[in-house]
Amino acid sequence: MSDFEPVLLARIDRPESHRRSDYEATGGYATLRRALQSMTPEEVRDEVRESNLRGRGGAGFPTGLKWTFLPADHDGPIYFCLNADESEPGTFNNRILMEHDPHQVLEGLILSCFATRSTTAYFYMRYEYPRAWKRINDAVAECYEAGYLGQDILGSGYSLDVVTHRGAAAYICGEETGLIESLEGKRAWPRIKPPFPAVQGAFGMPTVVNNVETVACVKHIVERGADWFKSIGVPADPNDPRDAGSYGPKLYCVSGHVENPCCIEAPLGLTVAELIEDHAGGVWKGRRAKAAIPGGISMGLLTASEFDCPLDFKGPGRYGCLGLGTAAVVVLDETVSMVDFLHNSCRFFAHESCGQCTPCREGTAWSLRLLERIRAGRGRLQDLELLLQIGDSIGIMPGTTICGLADGAAWPIKNAVRKFRSEFEDYIRRTNPDGYDVTDPVPALDWQATTPVP
Amino acid sequence: MPRVLIDGQELELAPDERLNGIQAAARLGIEIPHYCWHPGLSVVASCRMCLVETGKLDAETGEIRMLPKLVPACQTPAIDGTVLVTNSDKVAAARAMVEEDLLLRHPVDCPICDKAGECRLQDYYFEYGHERRRADIKPFHSRKRELGPTVRLFVDRCVMCSRCVRFCREVAGTAELMVRDRGAHEEIDVFEGFPLENELAGNVVDLCPVGALADLPFLYRQRVWFMTPRPHVCAGCATGCSIWVDANQDRIHRLRPRENPNVNQYWMCDEGRHGWEYVHDTARRTRPLRRFDDGTLTPTDWESAEAWIIERFRQARRPVLVLSPTWTVEEAYLAMRWFGDLPGETQFVLGPIPQTGDDLHFPKRRGSAPPASPIFTISAEKCPNRLGVARVVESVTGEAPVEWSEAIERSAWQDVDAVWVAGGQPGTSFGEEDAAALESVPVVVVHALFGGVLDGVAGAVLPDVAFAEREGSYVNRNGWLQSFAPAVRPPAGCRSMGQIMWKWLERHGLYHAEAVLGELARDLAGWAAAAPPVDPLGVALEPTGSSVSAEQSEEVVS
Amino acid sequence: MSDTEVMASGPADETAGDGDRCLTPAMRQEIEQLCRKYPRKQAVTLPALHLVHEKLRHVPRRAVVEIAELLELSPAEVQDTLSFYGFFKQDAPHGDCRVWVCRSISCALRGGEDVFQYFCRRAQVEPGQTTADGSLTIEVAECLGACEQAPCMLAGNELIGDLTEAAIDRFLKQREADS
Repeated sequence: MSDFEPVLLARIDRPESHRRSDYEATGGYATLRRALQSMTPEEVRDEVRESNLRGRGGAGFPTGLKWTFLPADHDGPIYFCLNADESEPGTFNNRILMEHDPHQVLEGLILSCFATRSTTAYFYMRYEYPRAWKRINDAVAECYEAGYLGQDILGSGYSLDVVTHRGAAAYICGEETGLIESLEGKRAWPRIKPPFPAVQGAFGMPTVVNNVETVACVKHIVERGADWFKSIGVPADPNDPRDAGSYGPKLYCVSGHVENPCCIEAPLGLTVAELIEDHAGGVWKGRRAKAAIPGGISMGLLTASEFDCPLDFKGPGRYGCLGLGTAAVVVLDETVSMVDFLHNSCRFFAHESCGQCTPCREGTAWSLRLLERIRAGRGRLQDLELLLQIGDSIGIMPGTTICGLADGAAWPIKNAVRKFRSEFEDYIRRTNPDGYDVTDPVPALDWQATTPVP
Repeated sequence: MPRVLIDGQELELAPDERLNGIQAAARLGIEIPHYCWHPGLSVVASCRMCLVETGKLDAETGEIRMLPKLVPACQTPAIDGTVLVTNSDKVAAARAMVEEDLLLRHPVDCPICDKAGECRLQDYYFEYGHERRRADIKPFHSRKRELGPTVRLFVDRCVMCSRCVRFCREVAGTAELMVRDRGAHEEIDVFEGFPLENELAGNVVDLCPVGALADLPFLYRQRVWFMTPRPHVCAGCATGCSIWVDANQDRIHRLRPRENPNVNQYWMCDEGRHGWEYVHDTARRTRPLRRFDDGTLTPTDWESAEAWIIERFRQARRPVLVLSPTWTVEEAYLAMRWFGDLPGETQFVLGPIPQTGDDLHFPKRRGSAPPASPIFTISAEKCPNRLGVARVVESVTGEAPVEWSEAIERSAWQDVDAVWVAGGQPGTSFGEEDAAALESVPVVVVHALFGGVLDGVAGAVLPDVAFAEREGSYVNRNGWLQSFAPAVRPPAGCRSMGQIMWKWLERHGLYHAEAVLGELARDLAGWAAAAPPVDPLGVALEPTGSSVSAEQSEEVVS
Repeated sequence: MSDTEVMASGPADETAGDGDRCLTPAMRQEIEQLCRKYPRKQAVTLPALHLVHEKLRHVPRRAVVEIAELLELSPAEVQDTLSFYGFFKQDAPHGDCRVWVCRSISCALRGGEDVFQYFCRRAQVEPGQTTADGSLTIEVAECLGACEQAPCMLAGNELIGDLTEAAIDRFLKQREADS
């Protein structure tokens, strides 16, 4: 393991790391000052473009490229939405950044807004982070005091307002157009695309939505340059013109059945095995691993024999997972029942499905009902086929849903049932000896609700 | 000319046409099933029933490149080079999946559901669904929820297409309906104390693609397969919505809007929708009456009543014809002919013109938001053809008719010796002062549906037909003329003005409004556009620039 | 076979009948000030709901009507948004302390479900409900984003991680001591 000098987490152990005075003492806001004084917005944007920074929120879309979708000569407001709705199970790196180094986030935000000529930034934070809410609001106030926000920032002529906006415990608000709908005061039903937010987003205006960790990276890219950023991580495949590479440092969360659950920083490309062994103290209690989630529960499962999977934008896909996601690894040891795991996953997605489009609304509820019947000892082998069909048919990838929540719901089903098929079959046979081979529909369980409220 | 390829068939579009995949396919007779899309509402693409395969045709190379994933046809613009595939296995599987999904928690209570026979869930199940149920058999669960005075929600039948919610927000502007909760728990509801009560509320029932929303006046009255829809025009106000009259054996059971981009788009108001019960009221007059020497109105036969009336009007020195704004233009024209040919000096009066409040424009404005351009207007003028009748009079005599309200004030009734008055529809009834004004007239003939206050001064009363029993043409507030045939037959004994005049003018055979319209279009200046056959959606009359021409209207006329 | 139920939405009856306003002048002023931060009033819906919920521990229907008036929306539009988020209580205020116990995968793997059951038993309250004395509401939450401290819970504004039965006992004891 090579020693990587943290960049994003460089300051989090300092006792006053969240204060502006401490941030400035370690060189904070110097980059902002320099950029506002000597660069144009397009130059900042191009530096980010050049760096091939890919969004850290889960989709991995190249940030600089996304910024170029904004209209060049828009006469009116441009809105920047900072997505701090971090709700992907297993993920907590945005929280760490916001609680311990809020000014890094804000400097990155202001630079990103400058690069995109945004006029107002809405900092949309999930409700469940009260400490981060306090820290960020305090930091924003400090920025206004220091003239880093407001009218004519540092005499540059650029003006920006940041409005903090609190969510209300709905996972789908992390989807970019779900966030926009929620910001606008409506239920967070994601929008159909086109039009894309860059053209018609919040309040009908061009809008950029970026993740907290992404804008933190922007700060460092502007500070040290695109070449520096590209010296870290996994280079693009020269034979594939569509490969944007996996550049830069990444915050990895690791939790579940490990000795030391934590958030660490490493170049993109760290493998699951390395993360668990070198950074999280190995599997806990001397046990062996059975499986791991590679990037938040939406990404699915790797078996223990697949822990050599590199955690970059291409690795998990090669092992049958949905992608890198939020790079939040959750480890399951040998005692975990995959039936219980899948039930937990299906319950989550059924609870969080926004309900707008038919395949997701019904498919997530149906898969939960199937798991509940299986766990109640009334499962059939037939149910595994149904689960796989549901999993294979819902999502934006087949094109059957409006947003990717359905893909996230589908992947744990597909991976769990396919990679642990015999365990599911054994469970069903064992718990329902008289009915496991029934192929006709069976009576539903007693209650109508898919999941008890709340 | 933009060219689109759908299932191997080519479709040419006009350069300015903006169609989506569903509309383009429909042109070729290809149905793309859908629930949530509606041409009069915003596109949400949430039901996912209209998923198709889409691609692009390179005009130069002829190569077709298809996208790897399915796309909703409702949000796919049909532009030059668009390729759609709707008949592949992939599309069939997607449709079957969506249909299965919608039936998972659905009560399937068709035997007690109004929508049976015109339900998309039923139809698409047969066309596109999996044959057998794969999901658990669940207990029957079908709840009812009153959303407002005329709309009931059968909660568990709802497929969450959100058409009703979007209608209330986008067209009515009143936003009483909401979705509540999240995911599979979502339901349609109203906020307590704020029921669904706007003047266009009934449209949500038309919009509902399944049996979740029911119109209470129609609920459980008639199965749709017993009804025959006939095109007609609402006679409730000067907007003149195109409608369908759903009737069975000459009994109306339901009115629905008929799509007309020039008049009402896809909508009609509740007053018009529900305002037909009087047509079958047993209190309707079905026999002519005459006041004989004993002074009471006594039932008699048509022949003797007509003979008496004709004789009286031929003897009159100052006869008056009060034209009704509920008559068709053909009836007005024939009446002008007959009454104009009388020996005496006939005066023409038009009215009364019923007015209630102001024009109501939708969407309703909310708070300080700037008003949107109206999608739909309910006219304050509660009669269908004031404009048409007035124009006929002016075309024939060169002068606008005197309005009834003005005529009442004049004391010139003393010289009048015979007057013909049409009692019109309910709501256009005459009042005590009207009867008082006519008291001095020796011969008062009333042509009406019901008994009323004019009976006291009438020498003869003739039974009229109701709007749905009429044939002919109306001209709405914007100068738009629509023609229609009777949707139901009147009770035996009732005759329309057209039928009466046709006979009195000694025309051959049965009254035939279209022939009269042809005559009218030929003989009267400014009516050429109305020459039959008239397009089923109607035609614009040339503006005359006179006082009876169409008002300036902000209504969207496409 | 269950019967069909008739559920009527009748006139509101939750007001005390004296027509008192639910929102205080201070709340109304705060909402009006928030309107200046957004280009459309509807965007103030969520902040307004939070504002009211924070002070009243629930958003009574009367408050929804008043918020709707201030934001030029129909009450249904505000309620639509409110009900989408399971967060807002409406029929009754939550307890003095509202606790969310995480049930997502990282916490579940480290015993979160058992801790939650234990907690409800010790506090003598059903999941999702408030204790008889109104002091404590215990609910489930999806991933609280503190997986490094799993299993964890959010008690008011305080995150408490590394939960065990002993930790729950300590928490309840502390509350008793504080009250």
